[in-house]
Amino acid sequence: METTPTIRRLSAEPFKPEPDDDLIVCRCEEVTKGELRRAVHEGLYRFPEVRRFTRCAMGLCQGRTCTKLVKGILSRELGCTIEDLQNPHARSPQRPLQMQELGNERF
Amino acid sequence: MKRYDLIVVGAGPSGLCAAIQAARYGLEVVVFDENARPGGQLFKQIHKFFGSKEHGAKLRGITIGENLLAEAAEAGVQVELNSVVMGIFPEKEVLVHREDRTEHYKADAIIVATGASENAVTFDGWTLPGVIGAGAAQMFMNLNGVRPGNKVLMLGTGNVGLVVSYQLLQAGCEVVALVDAGTRVGGYGVHASKLARTGVPFYTSHTIKKAEGEDHVTGVVIAEVDSHFQFIEGTEKHFDVDTICLAVGLSPQSQLLDMAGCDMAERGGRVPVSDETCATSEPGIFVAGDAAGIEEASSAMIEGRIAAVSAAEFLGFIDADNAAADRQEHYKALDRLRIGMFAPQNRGKVFTETEEGIPLSQSLLKRGYVTDEEVDSFGGVKHAEGWHAVVECTQNIPCNPCQDVCPRHCINVGSNITILPTINTEAKCSNCGKCVAFCPGQAIFLVNEDMGDGTAQITLPYEFLPLPEAGTKGKALDRSGKPVCEAEVVKVMNPKAFDHTALLTMSVPKEFVHQARFFKASAEALTA
Amino acid sequence: MITTADVIIIGGGIEGCSTAYYLAKRGITNVIVLEAQEIMLNGGASRNAGGVRQSGRDPRELPLALYGVKNIWPTLGEELGVDVEYNQGGNLRLGKTEEHLKTLTRLANNAAACGVGVGMISGDEARTINPYLSEEVIGASWCPTDGHANPLKTGLGFYKNALAMGVKFITGEKVLELRKVKGRLRKVIAEHGEYEADTIMVCAGAQSKEILSTVGINAPVRPRIDHCLVTEGQPHMFDTMLGTAEADFYGGQTNHGSFVFGGDDDLEGFDIYDLKTKGTSTTAPCVCRGIMKYFPKLAEMNIVRTWAGWIDITPDGVPVLGDCEEVPGLVTAYGFNAHGFGISPAIGYALSELIETGESSTIDISGLHYNRFKAKF
Repeated sequence: METTPTIRRLSAEPFKPEPDDDLIVCRCEEVTKGELRRAVHEGLYRFPEVRRFTRCAMGLCQGRTCTKLVKGILSRELGCTIEDLQNPHARSPQRPLQMQELGNERF
Repeated sequence: MKRYDLIVVGAGPSGLCAAIQAARYGLEVVVFDENARPGGQLFKQIHKFFGSKEHGAKLRGITIGENLLAEAAEAGVQVELNSVVMGIFPEKEVLVHREDRTEHYKADAIIVATGASENAVTFDGWTLPGVIGAGAAQMFMNLNGVRPGNKVLMLGTGNVGLVVSYQLLQAGCEVVALVDAGTRVGGYGVHASKLARTGVPFYTSHTIKKAEGEDHVTGVVIAEVDSHFQFIEGTEKHFDVDTICLAVGLSPQSQLLDMAGCDMAERGGRVPVSDETCATSEPGIFVAGDAAGIEEASSAMIEGRIAAVSAAEFLGFIDADNAAADRQEHYKALDRLRIGMFAPQNRGKVFTETEEGIPLSQSLLKRGYVTDEEVDSFGGVKHAEGWHAVVECTQNIPCNPCQDVCPRHCINVGSNITILPTINTEAKCSNCGKCVAFCPGQAIFLVNEDMGDGTAQITLPYEFLPLPEAGTKGKALDRSGKPVCEAEVVKVMNPKAFDHTALLTMSVPKEFVHQARFFKASAEALTA
Repeated sequence: MITTADVIIIGGGIEGCSTAYYLAKRGITNVIVLEAQEIMLNGGASRNAGGVRQSGRDPRELPLALYGVKNIWPTLGEELGVDVEYNQGGNLRLGKTEEHLKTLTRLANNAAACGVGVGMISGDEARTINPYLSEEVIGASWCPTDGHANPLKTGLGFYKNALAMGVKFITGEKVLELRKVKGRLRKVIAEHGEYEADTIMVCAGAQSKEILSTVGINAPVRPRIDHCLVTEGQPHMFDTMLGTAEADFYGGQTNHGSFVFGGDDDLEGFDIYDLKTKGTSTTAPCVCRGIMKYFPKLAEMNIVRTWAGWIDITPDGVPVLGDCEEVPGLVTAYGFNAHGFGISPAIGYALSELIETGESSTIDISGLHYNRFKAKF
């Protein structure tokens, strides 16, 4: 796939607060819309970067509830496509399980 | 570590059909499903399906599910329940969590049919307990026999929102309103009209402004939005509710395909890049059903079969020519399904007329009910002496049980099953009630416009408990749910053959025969 | 079109971002960081368990480790304006058998001899420090000045600050070739452009090998897969970072409350080097069993995610750090063998000093020079 490089540029404008900045977007980790917008404003331009910095999509549901919401906010803030935002790798386990269950292997 | 010919992930309609088809080709196949019961979403769907006989029309989702399970048992398909596929690892290794342990399996080919999950939407207060997905509400009611709440507001008027709202009513909840930010009701008009006639109001071009409550939902405020989805000042409406259901779309559960290394794309959700043979970019890994892209159960079942053909071909159980021929049959079945106003290729298109050139009911699209004036322009609505069917079906969707069940051929649809039903005025109705019972949209009524004593009678489909008794007095409601006149129950029929759709016949003053479409017992009658 | 700068850093991992930050702090802001992936810090930088330790290190790494813990980590969060969650809760390396204790004692003595404050303690003493240990632990090495931090926030903190100070970051730009001009390294040929600088730093993990080969350097580094797992968030249980004599697992509890553990199953080294880092099906279960041997109380804890990453391995287990006589203008920082995070601030400090002044005079990195590799006899 052809890619073009991205030069990370900070906006010259100061961060503009919005009235719904305190809206919770990731409810597992209680990450607000304002935190997401601020992360973007400070140069985090990919979903995995914002995720690692704010912990959105890192909670118990592993982003099943918030990923679409977060990506909508990020793509609007950045003026980019959803694809541009990239994704974390999909990983095992697809549902939580206990350490003793994961360690109890059968072949 | 056991290595199967084929592992199918998900025992929903798609996965089961895939496994059955694969077993018939001679593959050794196992299906893993995380749930305690197979059938995926089917067992939550208690409404009757549309389409034609080959698609399971007029059967309830649960019946289709039961039929599939029987087929799977007969085909010798191994279905492992309570088995969570945790991951797909290199070389088609599958890790399964079952009970207290982790099991390793491998396969020569994998079909992933993991369906979809519900979307969320944010608004002030959306994280309060009491805000749940419509699918979750369905699970409470239809799988666990638990009422999700008492007073519910539903956000979203796609088929999920409409169908679940009706089921909430059936479960004894009060549905205070259906709300949609869009300008039109998104799902089938008939699903909306069977709600509207019970009195449930629709608010299109509205969305939720705020959910109220401290530690759980106690109320909700909705408001109108403009074409940019911004709230219009002064249009707030408040409802006391304890539950807010969100039916705002589904997203494919494609994580396992991502893990398996498939190329992914954003197509209304993250899906693996796949072709019409259900192959992904990873050789030997196939995808079917909602995991490939949101559609519905009937198409998911056919896709499961296509994926099985492709897997069987991949593994050398059938040759390329036979595979192509078999797939062709399934493509034709899909084509017969993907027609009409709501077909995937028509998503987002604004229709103003039916295929017949009749103006679509704008009232149905905005408020969920056809007006008295609009209903007369449709070929299913005719006036005659004696008992006759009135078919208030006004949108082109592929569906024809009405034609099939009538023993006197009173209702015509034709070979193109999206054509709106028309009444065959030559045929003589026997008042058997089958059309009323088997229309999946509950859009057919049997009507006698003049009983000779100043009254008219209407037989309508009735799926609520308790069933009223003959002689019960109350009001007749019109299509919009407004009480229009006094009414009395003449009789209620609930034969087994009608599969839980009772037929309620009510008597009304004859001048209201073209409006009266639902019955509500009076307060005194209810407490008597 | 050729883009020039004072310094080009190849590799947007934590070593690159740390160095970019410290360069900018020194007023050297005409710096370009080239990252091949679309995502910054997507390699080992974002996949490790966050250990910040001095114990258990090769003596050649100790100057960096000691300097970092003493001079940088305690105030790094404040300096970056990012809570890097530095927690100096100490490091316990656990043993269940006499053999274990022999290994741990040897390691502890070696470290102590180099000035690291580490010593052996009994099983009961270990349980006083961390009450969740199994009764079967009979002893441990204990380094109270070791700790852990949040690698995700630290790395992104370096990046954000460097960006704000004027460093240029370009993602999705894979470097294909390095080229000398008149005997000095000057050119970087990348997929989408050409760049030039007086100093070029290569810190691209195992991919450094391919890049350096284009300018005649045979970098003794190769990739090896490593795995981690993370649990649900829990109420605070302990601060200590953990390891074992037999390397069953390492890790600890994060500030968030979730536990992050890592380890391997000894079947590593034969994987296909694919940046999709799919990981194996057997490592996480093995690590779980390792953890439960020492922490039976964690057995019922829910695991929400496992992941894999590539570590860059060198023949002697320590990085290749510093400049390069045969390629003037080249500076490298690769081969961290899974213990690069804890020393990354000190690395950035040392290399920025090296780049600016020609010498790493504050921290002695001479033991990690590239010309140290010699055959066994």
